Amino acid sequence: MQDMLLLMVGAILVNNIVLARFLGLCSFMGVTTKIDTAIGMGMATTFVITVSAVGDWALEKFLLEPYDLAYLRTITFILVIAAAVQFTEASVKKISPVMFRMLGVYLPLITTNCAVLGVSLLNMESKHGFLNSLLFAFASSVGYSLVMVLFAGLRERLALADVSRLMAGPPIGFITAGLLALAFMGFSGISTGSH
Amino acid sequence: MEHDDASYDEPASRTMLEGFARVVSVKGSTAWLEPEMMSACGGCKSSGLCGTKSIFGSRSDARTFPLENTVGLTVGERVVVGTYEDSLLQASLAAYLVPLVVMLVAAVAGQMMTGSDGVAALGAVVGLGVGMLLARVRAGRLSRRGDLSPRFLRRAYNEGLVEDCHAG
Repeated sequence: MQDMLLLMVGAILVNNIVLARFLGLCSFMGVTTKIDTAIGMGMATTFVITVSAVGDWALEKFLLEPYDLAYLRTITFILVIAAAVQFTEASVKKISPVMFRMLGVYLPLITTNCAVLGVSLLNMESKHGFLNSLLFAFASSVGYSLVMVLFAGLRERLALADVSRLMAGPPIGFITAGLLALAFMGFSGISTGSH
Repeated sequence: MEHDDASYDEPASRTMLEGFARVVSVKGSTAWLEPEMMSACGGCKSSGLCGTKSIFGSRSDARTFPLENTVGLTVGERVVVGTYEDSLLQASLAAYLVPLVVMLVAAVAGQMMTGSDGVAALGAVVGLGVGMLLARVRAGRLSRRGDLSPRFLRRAYNEGLVEDCHAG
């Protein structure tokens, strides 16, 4: 149980998928102008990352590993991610068509989010079992959502701050992202995570 | 003076998210609207070069939504519609977090009880299904309360479009 907790804390804070591994930076910069969109994107990505981790683990365990097809891993995982996004879209539509109109806007962006593929590949590289794969994927995506919301909050404040014209907009956003990454480096002292 | 703004009778403490939509058809007292940005990449200046839009861009009909036409909207008109901020949060929680949490609990329970990866995986799949059923119940409740439906806020100008997220 303690191992699981350490794995999760490590994935959320210490080896944060955005600020320590630098994956998913496109959506990190693009969808964080408002907290609401950051939450919507974060939740949708959390769902897709976790569901695709289950599919990827099953494919690796029952197809790629027994038939020695590891060289097909990347392309297979991309297919699983696309299927997971389609599954998410279909299930949200089934849960509530009204809700789909509200939340479906973020789903296309997830297909091309490298954080999703990155988490699955990291899982295979670390040779996690099923439960650890699932928990690692969930925790990584919680870390992603946390950083998205934090950064969106900072950017909402920055929009009201008196920033010089030369630095306004993306430049100050990049500087803030760098400072946030530095702050997250402080967490490396609390745990060694799974690695 | 009679006003046409549906948001006047709403409590001021609830923040509203605004978006633009265009009236595509009017049937009786219901106007059907299409959101202006079909996907979040709709506003991106690189969208012409990106493949994502071509995959998902053809599904615009799935996102048209009805609105009670109390203000005499006509086809082609641009309007500003809004949804409550907390409704978006609740919808996200119901659609994504509830199924995920049930899936994780079922997977952990499967692993703890049998110690087998296969059973844990099966538990996760069953948990996901159960979680989705729970999400459906929750979404039904939110929908019945009318929290998820967009509301008409005001008419938008058709010409001199300045509401671009890249502007400024």
